[in-house]
Amino acid sequence: MASTTMIDRRYIARGVERTGTARFAMWLAPWVLLLGIGLYAAYLCLYYGLNQTNMDNRFAFGLWIFLDLSIIALGAGAFFTGFLVYLMKMKELKAVLNSAVVLGFICYSGAMLVLAIDVGQPARAWFTFWHPNTHSMLTEVTFCISCYLVVLSLEYIPMLLKNRQLKKAPSFLAFEHQLHILVPVLAAVGTLLSFFHQGSLGGLYGVLRGRPFAFREGFSIWPTTFFLFILSAIAVGPSFLALTTRLVEKITGKALIPDSVYQRLGLISGLLLALYVAAKSIDTLVWLNVTSPAVGFAPWEHYSYGQFGIWLMAAEIGLFGLVPAGLLLWPRTRAQRGWLLTAAALACCGVLLNRFILTVQTLALPTLAFDEFMTYTPNWQEVATFGLVVAYGVILYSLSYRYLPLFPQEKELAGAVTEEGTHVSGR
Amino acid sequence: MFPGVDGFHWTFAHVIFLAIFFAVGMTIVATTVLALWRAHRDVKMRRVDQLRWHAEFEDLPEAERTCRHELAGRLEHRTCPNAFACGTCPEYSTYAALPTDAPEYTFGMDYPPNRLYHRGHSWVREDEDGLVTVGLDDLASRLVGKPDAVVLPEKGQWLEANGTGWRLRKNGCEVRVMAPIAGEVAETGSAAEGWYLKLRVPPEMRQWRHLLRGGEVPGWLLRELERLQLQLAPEGSAPSLADGGMLVDGLMDQMPEADWDNVMGGTFLQS
Repeated sequence: MASTTMIDRRYIARGVERTGTARFAMWLAPWVLLLGIGLYAAYLCLYYGLNQTNMDNRFAFGLWIFLDLSIIALGAGAFFTGFLVYLMKMKELKAVLNSAVVLGFICYSGAMLVLAIDVGQPARAWFTFWHPNTHSMLTEVTFCISCYLVVLSLEYIPMLLKNRQLKKAPSFLAFEHQLHILVPVLAAVGTLLSFFHQGSLGGLYGVLRGRPFAFREGFSIWPTTFFLFILSAIAVGPSFLALTTRLVEKITGKALIPDSVYQRLGLISGLLLALYVAAKSIDTLVWLNVTSPAVGFAPWEHYSYGQFGIWLMAAEIGLFGLVPAGLLLWPRTRAQRGWLLTAAALACCGVLLNRFILTVQTLALPTLAFDEFMTYTPNWQEVATFGLVVAYGVILYSLSYRYLPLFPQEKELAGAVTEEGTHVSGR
Repeated sequence: MFPGVDGFHWTFAHVIFLAIFFAVGMTIVATTVLALWRAHRDVKMRRVDQLRWHAEFEDLPEAERTCRHELAGRLEHRTCPNAFACGTCPEYSTYAALPTDAPEYTFGMDYPPNRLYHRGHSWVREDEDGLVTVGLDDLASRLVGKPDAVVLPEKGQWLEANGTGWRLRKNGCEVRVMAPIAGEVAETGSAAEGWYLKLRVPPEMRQWRHLLRGGEVPGWLLRELERLQLQLAPEGSAPSLADGGMLVDGLMDQMPEADWDNVMGGTFLQS
């Protein structure tokens, strides 16, 4: 029954229930406020420069680059789900594909936004394409992320055109249909691009010979961090997707995807996470015993400063790697929603910790005799810009969920009967 | 980026890197241009109605894509994979030969056996004058009652099967009633007359295998009534069995508080 006032009802698909317009506006209000504060901080940084932040010559990478690396890793669910659905023919995952695309679009556009503020002079952004430094991993990252954002936009457009009002226009309907047919091509291109930019973001640290904490040997021009970044991103992508979907289910009080999809996401994430933990462990052992001593650093020296103790390594590989991999691979824990989501959350925390260590710990440790250990704390402008991206993501996802068909099985699941015998309904 | 521009060198790595980049860029551009061109062609060749129907069909829940042979009791379970286009279904003849096992009553509603029925709740009747009459079936008529407004196509207009036949508006809800068959509009009617369109259909196009008939109709109606009951049930109530009774006329007026937008979407196969 339609019980709440919805002045925007005609923009919402038939057969799905959404909360009243006023309640939805109240949900958006704090995020809009956060967005406003973030925009002001971004304005300060763009107008006055990076002296508005706590970054300096030592900490050229701070909260923003940590945010970039993290959301790009979490957003890997977009390309990886597309790869699994269109190239590996795992049709079951179509249930989360649209949501994955929106999340990917938010993550990548958010990352580009922060990079534009960090690099500054956005009007000159085209310089990086016209005068590329082809010896830099960052050039590859820039090229791939820019192209992939275009791909994500093209994948997002068909969803946008499926809005109840937009699809009434014949040309929109036809364009949506034709783009949908060509989406496997875009999925393949997206996979290629993501493979390289996820890798190059990791490679960026691995090639830092002057930073023994991050430096790694590897294969040809690619250090091991290149491959570890790819593996960790595709391992946590499905976990992040499961987590966000469950969060939306909790907030809206609705079932959006069948349990089998959660199970499948958990299994894929578990398998890849186990592979990642194995690769990461081998890499760490080689680094501890060969790479670091070879450049004159006893490996445990890296863990003798401030809070950056050996516990960080143990937490990264054990608590946030081995434990969630085990929970996701063991059928009994994977079958229980609570354990599955706990494992997914741990896996996501693991990738955040990994990106934090590589970004902040690498720069904090001294590398020369006259260097000192330094710490860095972001100031309000940096935090507010971080908040800007979060608020932008929440707002765009909320609007997409309300007006677009993010979960194609929502209608069917709304008609399903719960264990208590009542119909699943929600807001 | 390009020869002659600062940063470019004729080295193997540069050429490979930029070749991959340009190949990716060209693929993205070509994909977009191809989609735009094909969309333009679809609009020009009036294929949009068919595209719309296929999109609507894909959005239907599985329970509403039941094969006609299941409706007739010839099969235990089968979901239509073919957008109800039985005319092109390779399995049609195999299953059509099976004996039916379906109820014979139409739940107190008027479904004359000399008509063919579209799943979007319109009917088709061949008249003696060679024209084909199209109307709204009894279930849909009882739901809508007297419509507030009807937008009919103009005489001479060509309609595509599963395209827009006419539009109805009632209590703020607007729906597209699908044309059950293709044909040229010869006359237009009204709810009061009991029919909405008379179509002129060329003999070679009188293949209406996609329309329901005979023993398939009661099975379809039963499912439609069940869907209706679920959609009109108060929120949070437990599912219950139908306890008899007839569908009243003008249900939209009788139950104004119900989510009619959703009900109409389900009835007329629109998301």
